[in-house]
Amino acid sequence: MTTESLSTSLDQSLLYPSPLKEFWQAFAHNKGAVAGLAFMILLVICALFAPWIAPHDPSEQYREFLLTPPAWLEGGQLQFLLGTDEVGRDLLSRLIHGARLSLLIGLASVLMSLIPGILLGLVAGFFPRLLGPSIMRLMDIMLALPSLLLAVAIVAILGPGLINTIFAIAIVSLPSYVRLTRAAVMGELNRDYVTAARLAGASLPRLMFITVLPNCMAPLIVQATLSFSSAILDAAALGFLGLGVQPPTPEWGTMLASARDYIERAWWVVSLPGLTILLSVLAINLMGDGLRDALDPKLKNAQ
Amino acid sequence: MSAVLTARDLTRHYEISRGLFQPNAQVQALNGVSFELQAGKTLAVVGESGCGKSTLARALTLIEEPSSGSLQIAGQEVTGASKAQRKQLRRDVQMVFQNPYASLNPRQKVGDQLGEPLLINTQLSRLERRERVQAMMQQVGLRPEHYQRYPHMFSGGQRQRIALARAMMLQPKVLVADEPTSALDVSIQAQVLNLFMDLQEQFNTGYVFISHNLSVVRHVADDVLVMYLGRPVEMGPSELIYNRPLHPYTQALLSATPTIHPDPSKPKIKISGELPNPLSPPSGCAFHQRCPHASERCQVEQPALRLLDARQVACHHAEQINS
Amino acid sequence: MSLLDIKNLSVRFGDATAIPVVDGLDLCVEKGEVLAIVGESGSGKSVTMMALMGLIDAPGIVTADSLQFDGTDMLRLKGRQRRHIVGKDLSMVFQDPMTALNPSFTVGFQIEEVLRQHMNLKGRAARQRALQLLDRVEIPAAASRLNAYPHQLSGGMSQRVAIAMAIAAEPKLLIADEPTTALDVTIQAQIMDLLVGLQREQNMGLVLITHDLAVVAETAQRVCVMYAGQAVEIGNVPQLFTTPSHPYTEALLKAIPEHSQGQRRLITLPGIVPGRYDRPLGCLLSPRCPYAQAHCREQRPTLDDHDRGAARCFYPLNLTAEVA
Repeated sequence: MTTESLSTSLDQSLLYPSPLKEFWQAFAHNKGAVAGLAFMILLVICALFAPWIAPHDPSEQYREFLLTPPAWLEGGQLQFLLGTDEVGRDLLSRLIHGARLSLLIGLASVLMSLIPGILLGLVAGFFPRLLGPSIMRLMDIMLALPSLLLAVAIVAILGPGLINTIFAIAIVSLPSYVRLTRAAVMGELNRDYVTAARLAGASLPRLMFITVLPNCMAPLIVQATLSFSSAILDAAALGFLGLGVQPPTPEWGTMLASARDYIERAWWVVSLPGLTILLSVLAINLMGDGLRDALDPKLKNAQ
Repeated sequence: MSAVLTARDLTRHYEISRGLFQPNAQVQALNGVSFELQAGKTLAVVGESGCGKSTLARALTLIEEPSSGSLQIAGQEVTGASKAQRKQLRRDVQMVFQNPYASLNPRQKVGDQLGEPLLINTQLSRLERRERVQAMMQQVGLRPEHYQRYPHMFSGGQRQRIALARAMMLQPKVLVADEPTSALDVSIQAQVLNLFMDLQEQFNTGYVFISHNLSVVRHVADDVLVMYLGRPVEMGPSELIYNRPLHPYTQALLSATPTIHPDPSKPKIKISGELPNPLSPPSGCAFHQRCPHASERCQVEQPALRLLDARQVACHHAEQINS
Repeated sequence: MSLLDIKNLSVRFGDATAIPVVDGLDLCVEKGEVLAIVGESGSGKSVTMMALMGLIDAPGIVTADSLQFDGTDMLRLKGRQRRHIVGKDLSMVFQDPMTALNPSFTVGFQIEEVLRQHMNLKGRAARQRALQLLDRVEIPAAASRLNAYPHQLSGGMSQRVAIAMAIAAEPKLLIADEPTTALDVTIQAQIMDLLVGLQREQNMGLVLITHDLAVVAETAQRVCVMYAGQAVEIGNVPQLFTTPSHPYTEALLKAIPEHSQGQRRLITLPGIVPGRYDRPLGCLLSPRCPYAQAHCREQRPTLDDHDRGAARCFYPLNLTAEVA
């Protein structure tokens, strides 16, 4: 029995980069996304090496230097590049240490809502008759409550603090993951390759996690990136309300809250943490946009 | 040769809900299909959209349970089969789909997809699986380095080869091919059809070949089953049906199929109108509204499949039309 | 003067060094003639017509020595002038009727839009004409269909509506791009009959783009066969099918199941159409051609006329005279 040769004699490896390389090429195309990624890397470095990078200890109070302006303003000191706050703590060090907290809050809350969200979404998609609608109604109820109020309520019940902040934010972002996963799963379930896997005898766990889930990851990854940024914002909001992370822990939102009264006298105590929040959220969103564009599931052809 | 697939009166009805205050509508997607398929032979199922061929494909591949009727695969009855028996049945029937761009998992390497049926159904070691996969890949004309690639790196024709390879990994007794070459160019279609024929010879698989392309069907089929609105209207050996179709619908289908060497002496049978709505099928014979030979009897009484001229026909006037 | 006269049309995506999707195409269509353009995926058949209609956007570059439609130079047409011609004198029917119609507007509205734009009909006059058109394309109960939305119609019906929209402005040339590929066989026959009937009635030129040789054999008068962006054979029906002069045409015909002559295996050409990265130096078919000589692999043949048409081959088949 003869078989026909289908190939050409060209070096095929040039034509077919690995999925990772292909992804990077698409991602790098978007300058904003790359800038966002660069800022994020900077934040991660700050978070990881905070004790070594920060010029001072974030909780050390320098009584002689209360409310010192940033170094480039009149009255500023070189040892306090971004000035000090109302009890004399170095702002730059607090911001650097704050990065640690913000990233931790973002990562932890995303993971805590992503994993249960995916599981619930998978179940809702695979059991559309009874279990699915029940799960979705529960999610609808959660979505009907304004997210910040819900977070406030949860923290009020559990008490303020870092862990409870993370917990509250995770619960609040859960419904969107469940919805996304379920929608993606239901879309994929109709495709022929899932039927083919069923025909090959795939068990339910295999169908869920190996056949369908990898094809649903694109929108989930984008959502995860974006909720990272809203986690930071929510934590800041909770901190601002005094419900989240408590002082003297250097969380950016909490810093904003305690500096409320000094807006006129010492604008840097409020503006600089606010600016940091702004830049971080912007960077993450730019990255998320770039990710979404790069992961766009267009049908890729051999030509 | 024994029958690898026996269908008796296969029927599949769906309930469609029409809102809160109306009773559910019933769609009779499949009504009383019976046939026998021998090993190494091909039965073609022919018909236009809405004739029930996709429903039939889903019933034959055990994706859906028929509402009534019996289905036997390699002698094993499907309804009432135990879990272990079902597992074996799974291995005996496989399918190749129409759309080569949707039938492969975009996020799984080709080699892994080909190995998956072996992983699930056999106790072979990783090395043995890989060897089997490489052997099958070579048979369908793929190169060893294609093992690592993802589906989007292949053309439509290559993807159909991969899909066929995957279906044949377990050497099933029956392969259901649902319009496998409809989305392919003429020359690629020819290559893929050749591959189908080669594999059938090698593994002695019975094929159920679903297609609306009558010239392809003539080339591959041993027997033909023509369907209209869920019912069989004519069934018999391929050459007989093509040379001397008895049912008006079969005649219309053959007449409407364009051919490279049109015969001016054979007038084209034109039928007007479209397929009736399956939610409200016509009374009597489903084809009577479009049939040039319809009579009053056709409006009232549904014709049964009967033996005439070495094949089965469901038409009241088959003798008169063709005398 | 031909209705459509294309000389040396090339379409590239990218810069001037990019591989052309359409390469040096010469084509002409006379008034009232049915020409079929046949080819497989990647042959450039659809892109040719899109270039003619001005539907190729950047980074596509369209170049031609001449791209004349009814005496007008289509290459140099700008916005408003182009809109006067495209959709009126020159119109198109697409492959998938379900996506060719706007799902948010009724059928009547869409036909009336064409009438308003190109025929200056408004209000009741437009509605009347739309009804006439639906009747002409044999849609039953036309009056009630005017208010139907595309998703409420079947594939065959939608395609009839698309045809009605295309002929509404009484075009001189109608381009049908795979008009029946997505339809069932019996509906396909009805639609092809309709198209040919309309063509004869209005003495339109009809360009039929398809991969289905059988449809061509039953409908067209002349055929242009394309391969990898080039026209490889031009000939008349039915001679092209009984005595093809280009090896690719011959191979296409041999690959059709109808011509299997009882053999279990179909005769096919090995390999696949050249893509961007593996374009041969010489004749584009030479890696796959059973008749290829050394000469063929080094030089590109030109499209040369012969007594039955034209073929792009150094050694055309089935000719009485010898060609070097």
